[in-house]
Amino acid sequence: MFWSGTIRTISGRARGERIATSFLILPLFVYCICYISSAKAMSENPAPKKVSKHYHELRDPVHIFVHFDSDERKVVNSRPLQRLRHIHQLALSYLIYPGATHRRFEHCLGVMELAGRVFDVVTSQDNVTDRIRESLPEIKKPNELQYWRRVLRMAALCHDVGHLPFSHAAERELLPINWDHERLTREIIYSPEMQEIWERLTPPLRADDIVKVALGPAKAKSLKFSVWETILSEIIIGDAFGVDRIDYLLRDSHHTGVAYGKFDHHRLIDTLRILPSPDTDEPALGVEEGGLQSAEALLWARYLIYVQVYLHPVRRIYDIHLRDFLKAWLDKGRFLTNIEAHLRMTDNEVTSGLLAAARRKGSAGHDPASRIVKRDHFRKLYERNPLDVQENSEAASAIFKAAEEEFGSANLRFDQYPAKGGGHDFPVLLSDNRIVRSGAASAVLLKVPPIAAEFIFVTPDKRDKAVAWLEANRNSIIKRKGKKNG
Amino acid sequence: MDKFKRTALLTALAENLRKKGSWCGETHLQKATYFLQALQKVPVGFDFILYKHGPFSFELRDELTSMRADGLFDLHQQWPYGPTLIPTQKSKRFRQQYSRTLEKYKRQLNFVSDQLGKQNVSELEKLATALYIRIEASSKSENQRAKYLHSLKPHVSLDDSLEAVKTVEGIVKLAKSATA
Repeated sequence: MFWSGTIRTISGRARGERIATSFLILPLFVYCICYISSAKAMSENPAPKKVSKHYHELRDPVHIFVHFDSDERKVVNSRPLQRLRHIHQLALSYLIYPGATHRRFEHCLGVMELAGRVFDVVTSQDNVTDRIRESLPEIKKPNELQYWRRVLRMAALCHDVGHLPFSHAAERELLPINWDHERLTREIIYSPEMQEIWERLTPPLRADDIVKVALGPAKAKSLKFSVWETILSEIIIGDAFGVDRIDYLLRDSHHTGVAYGKFDHHRLIDTLRILPSPDTDEPALGVEEGGLQSAEALLWARYLIYVQVYLHPVRRIYDIHLRDFLKAWLDKGRFLTNIEAHLRMTDNEVTSGLLAAARRKGSAGHDPASRIVKRDHFRKLYERNPLDVQENSEAASAIFKAAEEEFGSANLRFDQYPAKGGGHDFPVLLSDNRIVRSGAASAVLLKVPPIAAEFIFVTPDKRDKAVAWLEANRNSIIKRKGKKNG
Repeated sequence: MDKFKRTALLTALAENLRKKGSWCGETHLQKATYFLQALQKVPVGFDFILYKHGPFSFELRDELTSMRADGLFDLHQQWPYGPTLIPTQKSKRFRQQYSRTLEKYKRQLNFVSDQLGKQNVSELEKLATALYIRIEASSKSENQRAKYLHSLKPHVSLDDSLEAVKTVEGIVKLAKSATA
């Protein structure tokens, strides 16, 4: 009414001005009316509490978004998880691949995201056969499924909280006997601080279940696993297609710029199934025939990125220099295993100590620290190769021993990464509904070689002399096999 | 037992199993090694837990992979079975270097190969799990052990569990009489 009345009483230029003024005055007037009426309403009814957001998402370069709810956010915000913001995923690899500065924190978020996706696929009623429903009653009960989905995601989130600074591989030498990062992970999950969080989640979670699923039977030997729990732990740490592996391959590939680590994980995840093992009927994590090529690509990606990145000789020698520094710099040459000390120690503290030691001659760990900071690392003298291994499985050890006698142990370092794991054997559901072992369905899987590496490194000043010595003596050392006593 | 002697024993065990007609995949070697260690007391030093298809050692799995990398086993495939581990010529030379160790444990190697060489993966799972339970719960009756086996491995029927428990009882008696 106000609007039409105003327009009717004016004309010409003045009319235009009035209209323009009305455009300004009108919204203000409407706003005032609304404000007064809402203020009146609020004085009559107290303001409703602001409803906070229950679902959250973070952007992620690999998975686009990582989703979690407010309960799960309590774990994300906990001290052990936040500490992982300060632990490099690939230790000192950024000295070789400058982009590799990513941290364990985002890896853990990624593993949680993928674990949830896999869980939803393999427990979807369309993807589960009656045979599996009979073997795994958990799948039939929605409440139990909800509980185990939460356990799985929390186990995935926490699976790396025990990692030492720089995710250090030489943890056996840097921790007391019988300790490793998995044991630290376990202690953290059981800690009062985390226990309080588990109890306040909806539904409350049992710490035992999280430990089992996060570590699996190999690292939680004292706990008994049901078939269902074994399958859940396989979703995270399984050798064939555990989401830990899927995430680190994709993420490390993205950050290092080494494209070999990429594969079609979307297809793989969509085709994962819980299947009866062809020989025994025991339920296990397998794949539909349509996803077999993605599984093959994953295992090749793993092989290639190990060779290119994780077992890059310069990365390996930096790891050794870092280990040597830590042994000299840490009190009694070991990391402490109490939770508070563990949570306080990150890459930042170590880097600070490393830089200080590199600056001051005579300080503990000066030499290895200085080698890292000045990039004056030991140089590769020898690398394990198929020809020498065929002649003598212990070729690298034999050469190292002989080199030690020639050049002195202070000038040499020996690095071994023995072949391990399995993981190429899983059930495959063929399009005609037969279930076979993966080796029978894929000619490619058996061709993936075991990954093993051995390196001998020598100080830069001795390198030329050592190379000449090796050329002259290599064959005789490798062929010189001591008589065995057995 | 040192790594080299153990390597010689594992390749010898694979050879023996194959001679008895075993397909000799990783599961066959896992279960046979478990019998060698748990029943025949050969100190190969692996840590077995109840896992896929019964007792399983992650350390043994790693060692078999490492032996493949060292050229001591080849992995072959034949439809429709799973992969089989075949000891190489190099492993033969290795066994010659450890002939004394192999002679020392010859009886135990033969016993395990005789008992398990003809069993498929499904049978091996039941027998090895039954032996595991016999050691873990020695005071329980055969029926109780069968129920326990069925509860641990629901895909193995109660009848099959009882049969496996009885078969293992027979194997244990045979082993004792062989050493007496």
